[in-house]
Amino acid sequence: MKGICKAFGPVKALVDASLEVMPGTIHGLVGQNGAGKSTIIKVLAGIIAPDAGSIEIGGRPVGRLTPASVERLGIHFIHQDRLLVPTATVGEAVFLRHEIGFGAFISRRRMAAAANELLKRYFGIELPAGALIKDLTTAQQKIVQITRALAQKTAVLVLDEPTASLVKTEVDSLFAVLRRLKADGIAIIFISHYMQEIDQLCDVVTVMRNGADVGTVRPAETSIDKIIAMMIARDVGAMFPKRKAAIGAPVLDVSQLGLAGRFEDISFTIRQGEIVGITGLLGSGAKEIVNCLFGLQTADKGTIAVEGRSVHPSGPYDAVAAGLALLPEDRRAHGIALDLSVRENVSLASLGRYSSKGLIKRAEEGRQVDALIRELTIKTPGKDVLVRQLSGGNQQKVSIAKWLSCQSRIYVLDEPTVAVDIAAKVEIYGLLNRLAERGAAILMLSSDLLELTGMCDRVLVVYRGALTGEFSGARLDSDLLLAASSGASRPSEMEAA
Amino acid sequence: MMEKSLIRPDTISRLAGLAASYSVIIAFLAVVTFFSLSTPTFLTFANLYNVLVNNIVMLAIVALGMTLVVSSGGIDLSVGVAVDMASMVFVMLLAAGFAGPAGVVIGLAAALAVGVLNSILVTRLRISPFLATLGVLFIGQSTQQLSTGGGLPIYMTSGYPAEQFNLIARTSLAGIPTPVVILVLGIAAVYVALHRSVFGRYVLALGIQPGVAWYSGIRVSKHISWVYVACAFLAGITGIILSATVKSYVPLSGNAFLLDAIGATFIGTTLSRERRPSVLGTLLGVVLLAVVKNGLLLIGWNFYWQQVGVGVLVFLVLAVSFGLRRHLN
Repeated sequence: MKGICKAFGPVKALVDASLEVMPGTIHGLVGQNGAGKSTIIKVLAGIIAPDAGSIEIGGRPVGRLTPASVERLGIHFIHQDRLLVPTATVGEAVFLRHEIGFGAFISRRRMAAAANELLKRYFGIELPAGALIKDLTTAQQKIVQITRALAQKTAVLVLDEPTASLVKTEVDSLFAVLRRLKADGIAIIFISHYMQEIDQLCDVVTVMRNGADVGTVRPAETSIDKIIAMMIARDVGAMFPKRKAAIGAPVLDVSQLGLAGRFEDISFTIRQGEIVGITGLLGSGAKEIVNCLFGLQTADKGTIAVEGRSVHPSGPYDAVAAGLALLPEDRRAHGIALDLSVRENVSLASLGRYSSKGLIKRAEEGRQVDALIRELTIKTPGKDVLVRQLSGGNQQKVSIAKWLSCQSRIYVLDEPTVAVDIAAKVEIYGLLNRLAERGAAILMLSSDLLELTGMCDRVLVVYRGALTGEFSGARLDSDLLLAASSGASRPSEMEAA
Repeated sequence: MMEKSLIRPDTISRLAGLAASYSVIIAFLAVVTFFSLSTPTFLTFANLYNVLVNNIVMLAIVALGMTLVVSSGGIDLSVGVAVDMASMVFVMLLAAGFAGPAGVVIGLAAALAVGVLNSILVTRLRISPFLATLGVLFIGQSTQQLSTGGGLPIYMTSGYPAEQFNLIARTSLAGIPTPVVILVLGIAAVYVALHRSVFGRYVLALGIQPGVAWYSGIRVSKHISWVYVACAFLAGITGIILSATVKSYVPLSGNAFLLDAIGATFIGTTLSRERRPSVLGTLLGVVLLAVVKNGLLLIGWNFYWQQVGVGVLVFLVLAVSFGLRRHLN
């Protein structure tokens, strides 16, 4: 792709952008949100027609691309938003538009078998027979989507943030698959916000900024810091700002918590001003522990105490009343309502404070919301604008503002920076530090080891339903965390380390 | 070239935006103008009073309830049953010699029972609002037929019961007919509940993104239950007014309100940029439907052609509003 230009009205999305990808390489594409990554990919996908520039595939210039002609050329896309039919079975999803069967009849059984075969071959996993897409976890859905591309003849595979919701082992198996495909001579374009992944996986990286490609480098020869500096044209300084929070009295006390078949005997304490990480593989029980704190699941053993008072959350209502705040992983389904305004989202959990006798005091509500918009530097045209119109990072800030407005004391974060660009991540990290400095206690569930080691005072590792390690200070290191969460090291060895 | 420069493109798009938001009002003005010019009787006090008392009041009260339910993300297909239950119980009690107020209270209780049943089906058994209220609609219709010997109306034209009916339909407060007073109170109550109270904000959040509402600590079942109970209660009020006005109970007559109430609510959503139901929008929808029906009747269209007229109008209002909005985006 050479000299591609595209303008949307006055906004120049692409300015003379070029991208050259060789067969048999994994080519990283990085840049901040709005840098033009998505636009150039949409041009390649035939979704957007460029204003100028030329595209050659396999040495031959191609004319106008359409989604259908692109697929005939063997270019497949795995988009960030999961484009799967929620009520389809796994087999149907994998072979959508390429159904197996006899003439007009399709054979669900054969498609299911073929899909299972592919899943086993590439990922070594088996999904329950006849499972519907909507019953699968986010990670499993992503895997099905990748399998769909693999089921067809592929020359170029484009992955847009494929690992955003995958845990470490799934990422590893995905990378193994990608390396295998690379050895088969397929060209792979890999878009990611995770610099570690770019570093591990890619042979070449093209950095985009302000609609143009600002450089193509080899990660093996260039440091991550250099690549980030290219992306934002300034030094980020530290990605994880330093925090000066005084650690105070215990706020959240979890004791011998257990849920049959999920986890048992989980005990930990979080103090004021402390950021504690919790991590574990999919199915390790880490997620379920967080769910039990917020009443999404109900623990059948043990106690949860907030500031010494025992609580038994049987739903989010009880948890919120006890002073907990949850930033859920699925931001769009559970965190913020895109079709409510900034004002309505921010005050949703704290209307009791802005009302008397059940009536909302709009002026007071508006003042508080304005104050929070300023405090969190939420970029919005106004407080009565729908959250849908805000960028991902600003949406996440709105969901944090909701709990600030509620004056929550304990923040439970479930993958807080998934699908958020680096600049917004740094801002969110800064915000969490400020929360901690103000005396909040923060529990952060994350599978981003860099984030955990950079942000947390302590990190708890859950492995097969048990707390197998607690890392802090010098032992807070991503390799040790990885080893503990994948069961590679035993608790006793860790104590010795 | 001169003419082109007179109207700047942003002026056009601003006008289109106004047309998208106010298509109901534009349609209303157009309809009023048209009928005023076509028939001299349309714009007379007697006719407009008749439209208000006989067409607007009862539909508006039902539509207010529907607005609450639609705001919560649901739909209530059983409003007609709530209307009929209140009406049936009210008339039967009066026929049996009960006093008017007792008939009203027990009649409203019968309507409330419909709402409670809906809310149990929706919040406890987690049946989708459409199917739950459809089931209640079927059950309610059969119940009426079983209680009236296959659907025989009950008429009260003279004697003690007939006078009790006059208490509601034929009285007035400071010159305003009692049903209109009841409507004004209903509008005020639903407006405050939906647009000014914490309850209304929760209902809105539940309608737009129930997951977010639940994760924010809002008690979903409690609020959804109140919405269905309130809707049935309002429909029950219409049932009482209906039977007091016509001094009779005609089985299944409440169903006439169902589609009009849904229509008015959705016509009303065109008033809001975010397509949210609102009390003001719903009332405009009700008035538009009532005026069109009355006008078509006056210019001599029969009942079946009135339905066609209403359908075309609803379609036009929605198409213009949605089409312009999409064009602007």
